[in-house]
Amino acid sequence: MSNVHLTRAVQVLRDEVLDTVALGDRDPPGAEVFEALIRALSVGGDSVPGLDLTLHDAVARRLAWGDSEESVLADAELIFDRLMTSVDRAFREPADQMIVIEAATQVAVTVSRVVALAAVARAGRDRAARMREDMSQGQLKDVLEKQKVAIQRLEHELKEDFQ
Amino acid sequence: MRSAGDSHRGKVRRTNEDSLIVEPRMGLYAVLDGMGGANAGDVASQLARDTIRDFVMHRQHTLAPAALLEAAIVAGSTAVFTEAQNKTDRHGMGTTVVACLVVDPAHIVVCHVGDSRAYLLREGRLQAVTRDHTIVAELVERGLLTSEEAERHPYKNVLSRNLGAKAEARVDTVMLEVKPGDRLLLCSDGLYGFASAEAIQYLLGSGDDPKDVARDLIELALRGGGGDNVSTIVIETAPAAPSSSQVVRTSGARTWWQHRRHFLDAASEGGLADNPIVSGLPPHEALELVALSLCQAIYHDLEKSTGVNVWTFAQNLASGWFQRGGEWEAIRGLVDILAASAHAVVAEIRGADPALGFLIDVAVSRALIVVELALGGLLAERLRQVDADLVELYTIELDTTMHDATSSGSHDAMVIAEPSASDASREPAARDSAGTITALTSRESLATIDAPALRESMSTFTSLTAPEAAATIAELDASDSDAGTTTAMERISFDDPEPDREPPPSEPVAARDARPTPPPPPPRAMPPPVPARAAPPPVPARVGARNLSADAAAHAASGGGLRPLVRTADTERVERFSELSIERATIPFLRPDRPVTNAGEPAEVLSAIAQVMILARGRISPRARLLEQVLAALDNVASDSAGNFAAAVLAARELYGVRSVDNVGVMPLFDALDQARILVAASVHQLRAPQLLRVRVLRALSTAHQRLVGATTGLVLEAVAPFSDRLRESQGLTGELRDAVAKAERRRAHLERRFATIVDSSLPWGTRGTTEW
Repeated sequence: MSNVHLTRAVQVLRDEVLDTVALGDRDPPGAEVFEALIRALSVGGDSVPGLDLTLHDAVARRLAWGDSEESVLADAELIFDRLMTSVDRAFREPADQMIVIEAATQVAVTVSRVVALAAVARAGRDRAARMREDMSQGQLKDVLEKQKVAIQRLEHELKEDFQ
Repeated sequence: MRSAGDSHRGKVRRTNEDSLIVEPRMGLYAVLDGMGGANAGDVASQLARDTIRDFVMHRQHTLAPAALLEAAIVAGSTAVFTEAQNKTDRHGMGTTVVACLVVDPAHIVVCHVGDSRAYLLREGRLQAVTRDHTIVAELVERGLLTSEEAERHPYKNVLSRNLGAKAEARVDTVMLEVKPGDRLLLCSDGLYGFASAEAIQYLLGSGDDPKDVARDLIELALRGGGGDNVSTIVIETAPAAPSSSQVVRTSGARTWWQHRRHFLDAASEGGLADNPIVSGLPPHEALELVALSLCQAIYHDLEKSTGVNVWTFAQNLASGWFQRGGEWEAIRGLVDILAASAHAVVAEIRGADPALGFLIDVAVSRALIVVELALGGLLAERLRQVDADLVELYTIELDTTMHDATSSGSHDAMVIAEPSASDASREPAARDSAGTITALTSRESLATIDAPALRESMSTFTSLTAPEAAATIAELDASDSDAGTTTAMERISFDDPEPDREPPPSEPVAARDARPTPPPPPPRAMPPPVPARAAPPPVPARVGARNLSADAAAHAASGGGLRPLVRTADTERVERFSELSIERATIPFLRPDRPVTNAGEPAEVLSAIAQVMILARGRISPRARLLEQVLAALDNVASDSAGNFAAAVLAARELYGVRSVDNVGVMPLFDALDQARILVAASVHQLRAPQLLRVRVLRALSTAHQRLVGATTGLVLEAVAPFSDRLRESQGLTGELRDAVAKAERRRAHLERRFATIVDSSLPWGTRGTTEW
């Protein structure tokens, strides 16, 4: 089967793999993984230009909407498992099955790497934010000390005035 | 609580200026690090030590714990300061202190001044309890220095606080809520200045006695240079009660292993050496090879709370035996002997220690269930094979029959074909010149016969034992004869129904004569119930089915292939049927669409996976160790018969090791995982195996790869989680500080307003802004 036909054959499995009947067809969880698979199949080869970037964008979008990295990872795993089952059923030719399985593995590895890098980047941001927090705390403590001194002075002066 | 302390002068200093308080009765522990030249440092630390200890001893019933310890430290500072003022040669002496007072088993007060530290080890993680009172640390706290700059700062050891500099001391106090199993470490800077936090964490979490840990920590600092006096105190809270799984993993596994001799004896008495599987082996060797291996597998599974070893043992044993053409009964008998031996050992353990025995009983029973599951998986696979063989055999029979019917339209066979127009005029005829009765008498009966019905009938027979099958055939024959109709079963024939008929020309007489004559089926009064079975799946192209089908095909091609349709309960036919298909016990509920267990990958796939791994390893450079590790991990996960995620997580944890949480630490790992993916895929293509097998191997390896990278990413997520937690804590603290500043600002504004009002009213011209001239 040619690449074009293979890609179309996999696209037919979209509803089944993404379980759109249960979840609706508007960006069901894991849709980015399936789209990446289609892309990998349509381009072919071991190295897919742009696959990393596409997945990075898709994962970043999901994270920006509040999904956790764990949920992205779990969705990818679910899609992978469903795809394995569907491929076994839907493709008769072993060679076609192997192509799809290889592409699915590639996408799975890429998704994991993208999620891991996103997590590492978040850790870096958190580390920097914590340093800023520490600096802010230092400044606030200075301000607080000055305020305490001023308050003590004012209280003292008020006390003397009353006397 | 257990506790211990130790101190050493180090490799450079000539005197030890550190002092310790280890008073388990009072619950008081302290490390003091003296400073000041001319023997003044040790004087300061000892003076402070004695003062603190005496203060706590005499006032412990009058003050609350935190106030008591703080007051004791302040008293120590006063004593040192006074001593330094009175004696000029001791001027400037001082000491640091980190002290703790056990309030109750769940609470400990920690107070400190200076740079002696307290660490808490909880669930394997080391946390700093105190913050150094150094000038540099305070600059970092104020945001004037970064942590990196502080590490290189020339004054990083200059204290901002100590005991003895002033009559009073500012003490930092922390109330710790401790949990069972926690360990608290008090130490001087001679430890953490010469030993890494990771090494301290490792030793503190080793589980050794506190006394040994305290000594080992000092050894660690000495190995790191020992440039300063080093003192340590280790306090361990009461350990948590071990969980049942911990008991099984430790004392349970050990006890089981100690009873291995009894296990072997019981297996020997049970007749293990007589089993056909080990026939030919000397009895002691048979025992060691089978019983000791299982005993060892159970031991390792108890130790690691898994079932992998036992599963592997059972799979290897049974699949090896089946491959040699062994019978099921032998395996069953062997496993029964081993199970009985295991129960005998468990009974003995229960007699000696009922509580431990109960836990081991549960764990060993679980292991034996895993053995049964492994055997069940293999059995299911074999039954599916038989089922497929039967279906294929039937298909060949059908094809042959149709071919002959259409080519000759004569002689001694049934015809199953689509009815044609000419059939309408065909007279019912009894054919079969050799005397075989044919049953096709009407066009209607032809139309009613279809393949699914026949398949269903065939499937029915796979669930029956040989005698049952024979009786059922006879029953059906009899009932059909009575009814005068033709059913699907009537068209099933597997051999020449007439023993006295002349053999076909191509079949040698000798061969025919050599064929054993099976005994007749046992009489049966009542027909057995025929379970309703779903239609089997479409005929699969199974490698294993070739022998049977080839047999039938050869027979058909030899000219004797037209297997006549029979309506009588022919003995030879039935036995032939039994011989071909139903020669072993079958389990009706084991169907391909309803796997009762996850049997893992079959042996042929596992073997192919091993070959793929060899090919993949041959393609990598010897220096690519990470890639080699990834391949080994992948091999482990793919070969994991249990098919669960535990193997992936374990492999990923081993692979992940200790890595920094940044791109430099994480990226190489994922690069290696990606390279391994490409290597493995290429190696699968290189594998010399049928394409279907290659697909299965690729699928197994891909699934393993996905599990491995998923588990690795999970570890990365686990590693980055503390960064977010710490940020949240810090943000909370900032928020509190902002609130405090806002509150102080309001207070100040209020006071200023009041002050301004008073000032204005005291002026001669009255209130500000309303000057009257």
